Amino acid sequence: MRATTETSTAVRDQGGAASTAPPGPPPSRARRPNRWWAWGFLAPVTIYLAAFYAYPLYRNVELSLREYTVRSFVQGGAPFAGLDNYRTVLTDPAFWPTLTHTVVFTAASLAFQFTIGMALALFFHQHFPLSRTLRALILVPWLLPLIVSASTWSWLLNSDSGLVNAALGVVGIDPVNWLTSPGWSLTSVVIANVWIGIPFNLVVLYSGLQAIPAEMYEASALDGATGWQRFWGITFPLLRPVSAITLLLGLIYTLKVFDIIWIMTRGGPTGSSATLATWSYRLGFGNLLPEFGPGAAIGNLLIVLALIAGLVYIRIERRQQLR
Amino acid sequence: MTTSTPRAWWKTGVGLVLTGLMLFPVYWMINVSFTRDQDMRASPPHLFPTNGTLDGYRAVLDQQLPYLGTSFLVGLGTVALTVALAAPAGYALAKLRPPGGPALSFVLLIAQMIPGIIMAMGFYAIFLTLGVLNTLPGLILADTTLAVPFGVLIFTAFMSGIPDELLQAAVVDGAGRLRTFWSVVLPVSRNSIVTVSLFAFLWSWSDFIFASTLAGGGDHQPITLGIYHYIGNNNQQWNAIMATAVVASIPAAVLLILAQRYVSMGVTAGAVKD
Amino acid sequence: MTGLNRRRRLAAVAVIALAAVTGSACSSSTDGPSDGGAYLVWDPYPQFADDSEWVALLKKCGTSAGVTVERTGYDTTDLTNKALLAAQQGNSPDVLIVDNPVISTLAEAGALTTTDDNKLDVSAMEKNLLGAGQSDGKTYGVPIGANTLALYYNKDLLTAAGVDPATVTDWTSLTAALTKVKAKGKKGITFSAIGTEEGSFQFLPWFWGSGAQLTSLDSPQAVSALTLWTDWLKQGHAPNSVINNTQTTSWQEFATGDYAFAENGTWQLANAEKLPFAYGTIPVPASAGGPAPAPTGGEFVSIPVQKNTGRYQTSQQLVACLTNADNLLTTDTTLSYVAPVAAVQERQATADPKLKVWVEAVRAAKGRTGDNLGTKYPKISESLWTAVQAALSGGKSPQEALTAAQTAASTR
Repeated sequence: MRATTETSTAVRDQGGAASTAPPGPPPSRARRPNRWWAWGFLAPVTIYLAAFYAYPLYRNVELSLREYTVRSFVQGGAPFAGLDNYRTVLTDPAFWPTLTHTVVFTAASLAFQFTIGMALALFFHQHFPLSRTLRALILVPWLLPLIVSASTWSWLLNSDSGLVNAALGVVGIDPVNWLTSPGWSLTSVVIANVWIGIPFNLVVLYSGLQAIPAEMYEASALDGATGWQRFWGITFPLLRPVSAITLLLGLIYTLKVFDIIWIMTRGGPTGSSATLATWSYRLGFGNLLPEFGPGAAIGNLLIVLALIAGLVYIRIERRQQLR
Repeated sequence: MTTSTPRAWWKTGVGLVLTGLMLFPVYWMINVSFTRDQDMRASPPHLFPTNGTLDGYRAVLDQQLPYLGTSFLVGLGTVALTVALAAPAGYALAKLRPPGGPALSFVLLIAQMIPGIIMAMGFYAIFLTLGVLNTLPGLILADTTLAVPFGVLIFTAFMSGIPDELLQAAVVDGAGRLRTFWSVVLPVSRNSIVTVSLFAFLWSWSDFIFASTLAGGGDHQPITLGIYHYIGNNNQQWNAIMATAVVASIPAAVLLILAQRYVSMGVTAGAVKD
Repeated sequence: MTGLNRRRRLAAVAVIALAAVTGSACSSSTDGPSDGGAYLVWDPYPQFADDSEWVALLKKCGTSAGVTVERTGYDTTDLTNKALLAAQQGNSPDVLIVDNPVISTLAEAGALTTTDDNKLDVSAMEKNLLGAGQSDGKTYGVPIGANTLALYYNKDLLTAAGVDPATVTDWTSLTAALTKVKAKGKKGITFSAIGTEEGSFQFLPWFWGSGAQLTSLDSPQAVSALTLWTDWLKQGHAPNSVINNTQTTSWQEFATGDYAFAENGTWQLANAEKLPFAYGTIPVPASAGGPAPAPTGGEFVSIPVQKNTGRYQTSQQLVACLTNADNLLTTDTTLSYVAPVAAVQERQATADPKLKVWVEAVRAAKGRTGDNLGTKYPKISESLWTAVQAALSGGKSPQEALTAAQTAASTR
C-alpha cells in the first residue's frame, strides 16, 4: 500500500517537473508564503545570464539589422537596414531546400538518437557484470574533439577508400557515394550525428531510470506484468518529464549542429547537406569575404525556431499537468 | 548487486557487442593513428595497422602533455562553476516555484541557441575589457556557458522528483531553505549532479571555438588547440592528429569510468531514503 | 554559512562582469598591446612549435630590432575571423602573416597599413607574386614565400603503363596517358575539388589553361575545362572521392601508389621524398599545350593598423628582417616554398635541382585576386567551386553549372 501512495506522489511531482511550465493556477499545496524569496537561489544564474548571454545576443540581432560589410564590421558605421537581411535570406533560392534539410536532419537525428539511447539505457539499467564500465566507455566519443570524430566518419564513408564501402563490397553491394552524391550526403551526416548524440540520450535517460524507485517494479512484478507492460505502464510514464527535456535539449543542440556537417561535407555537394546552421556559418565565417548580416539573420531565424519548439513544449507540459 | 548468473553473462556479451559497435569509429581513429602516410587511403582499407608507425605518438608525447594539464584544469573549473550556478537555480525552479521562474527557464532554453561563434565574439570583447583574455579563469567562464543552461534544466527536471514530504520534514526539523538545500536536496541529487558534471566536463574538454578565440594567444591552451600543431596551412599530419585524440581520451576515459562507479555507489546509498 | 558566502562572491563576480559588458558595449575598444617592449606576431603556422626554426627566426628578428616578439600560430581558416575581430576591437597584432587571398579582404576592412604608411621596401619582390597584396595601386603586404600547383607522377606506374611523362603536354595527351594507366588496372589522377577555396585553387590551372577568364565563368573555354574533369570522373580516370578531397586527402591517395598523377603543391616536396616509389613532376598542361598558368599560393606578411602609429617603425624592421634574402631562404626551405625574390629563387634551385621546376612554375603563376579583382574574387571563387561540385556530383551539366555560377557571381 505504502508503495502505491508514494508512487502517485512521484508521478504527480514528475508531471510537474515542467522546468519551463508556467506557475499556472497554483495547485492546492502551492500556497507558499514569500515565493519571491526563492529568487535568492536564482540570482547568481540570472546575473550570469545577463552578463554573458545578453551581449552576444544583442550583437547577433544588431548584426542582422544592419548592412555590414567587412569595412563597417571593423570600422563601425554600418547603415541600418531594417529587415533587408531577412528578406535576402528568405528570398534566396537556397532557403527552402535548406530549411527542408534542417527539418529532416533534426527529425531523423532526434528519432534515432532518442530511440537508440533509450534502448541502450534500458539495457544497461539491468546491472550485469561490466555494465557500468561499458556504459562509461560508450561516452568516449564525447571526449573526442569534433574535428577528429567528424573526420573519422568521413574516413569511414569515403567513396573509394572507405571501410563502409569495402564492407558493402564484401557482401556484393555496389559502393555508395556517401559524401559526394547529393542523394546520400544528408543521410551520411545524419548517421554521424546520431552516433554522436546517442551517449547524451543514454546518460540522461539512464539517470532518469535510476530515479524510478525500485519498489514500483516490485509491485508490478507481483501483479505479474511482463517486461513490455512494465515499460509502457511504469517506465515510460515516469520517464516522461526526463524524456521531454532530453528531446527538447536534443532538438536545440541538433538545430545548432554545424561543425559535423561542415567537416564532413561543407554542406555539399551543391548544398545537398546544408542546414540553416551551416548556411549561417558559411555566410558569416566560412568565406574569404564574410557576409555578417545575412549570416546573423539565419542565426536569429534558428533562435525563433527553438523558441517555437520551447512554446510547444510548454503547452504540452501544461496540458499534462492539468490532466 | 545482481549475482553473476549465466543469463547475466549473456547480457554482458550483448553489452560488449553493442559497445563495440558504438566505439568502432574510435577504433578506426586508433587504427589511423598508427598508420603510415602511404597506407592511409589504401583501397581496400587496412583493418589493422600492419606496418604501423609510432611517428604520430612520438610527436604527441613530445609536445602535447602540457595541453592535457590545461584541459584538466579547465574541465574541473567548468564543472565546479556550473554546478555552483545551476544547482541552486534548479532547486528554486523545481521546488520553490518563484513568480517569473518559468520565464527564466525559457530564457535559459533560448540562450543555448546563440551560435557558439557569436558567443565567442561577444566574449572576446568582454574579456578584452576585463583583461582575462588568454587566461584560465576566462576560458573556464566561457566554457560554463555551454553547460549552465543545460545544468539548470536538468536539475529542475530531476529535483522536481524529490518528494515534497522529504523537504517538509526538514522544515519541520527547523532547517532553513538554505540548509534544506545544502543538507537534503544536494545529497539526494547526487545522481543529477554527476550527470551535469559529466557533461560540463565533456563539453569543456572538447570545446574548440572558445579555446581558439579566447585562449589561442596564451600559455594556457587546451588539447583541442594542441591538435592544430598537426594541421598546417596546406597539410595535415593525420596520424599525429589521431594520436593526440587517443592520448587525450585515455586519461579522460579513466576518469569517466571512475566517475560512473562513484555514481552507481552513490545512488545505491542515496536511494535508501528513510 | 559558507554556502551563502560563496554565492555572494559569485554574485559579486557576475556584477563586475555585467559592468564590464555594459562598458564594452559603449566603448568597444581599448588600446592595443600596451607593453612597449613586446611585439605581437600572428602566423598561420601552428605546426611550428616554440623550438622550431621559424620561431627562432622571429625571436632573432625581435632581438635585432630591440624588442621581444610574442608569437601565436593560428589555424589558417580561423585566422581571418580572428584578425577581423581583433581589428574591430582595436587589438590587432603588430605583424600579421596570412594566406594571400585574405589580404584583399583585410585591406578592404581597413585593417592593414599600406607600404606608404609603413615604409616597407617591396621592390625586390616578383611582380606576379606581389599582385595578390595590391589593390588600387596600393600595396598591403610582402609575400614571405610562394607555392603553386603542378602534377606529381608515379614513375614506376607510368613506366609499367608505357607512358613517357615528357609526352604529356596537353589535355589530349594527358587523357590518353590516363586511359593507358587504367588499362593496366591502376587509377589515373587525383586532385581536390572540395567545396571551399581549396577546390577553386585546384581547378584554376585547368580553368586558366583553357583560356578562360574569371570575369566570364560560362565561356566555352571554361565549360571545356569543367567537362575535362567531369569526363575523367565518368570514365573512372579520377576517383569519385575528389569531390570531398582536401589536398591532403588527395596526397594520401597518391601516396598509396595506386594513382599515376596527382595535382598538388610545392609544400608536398618534403613528403614526396618519403614516398615508397619514384616520383617526378610536370607542369599542369594547358588545353592547347604548354604549361598552364597556376594560381599562386603562400602567405603575406602585413602590418595591421595600430592606434599607436609609433609602433610601425619597429614592425617595419621586424618585417624587413623576416623578408631579407637569408631569412627568406631559411623560412621557405622549412615551409617547402619558393622564395618571392628572384635572387633567392636562384639560390634555392642551385641548392636543390628538384626545385627548378617549381621555381619556373611559380614564375609563370598568377595571383587569384590579381587583375584588380580584389574583393570580387571571393564571390567568383565561391560560384566557381559550387559549379565544379554540381558538375562532378552529376547534379548539373558543366554548361548549366557554369551558367548558374556566372549569374550568381555577377548578381550578388
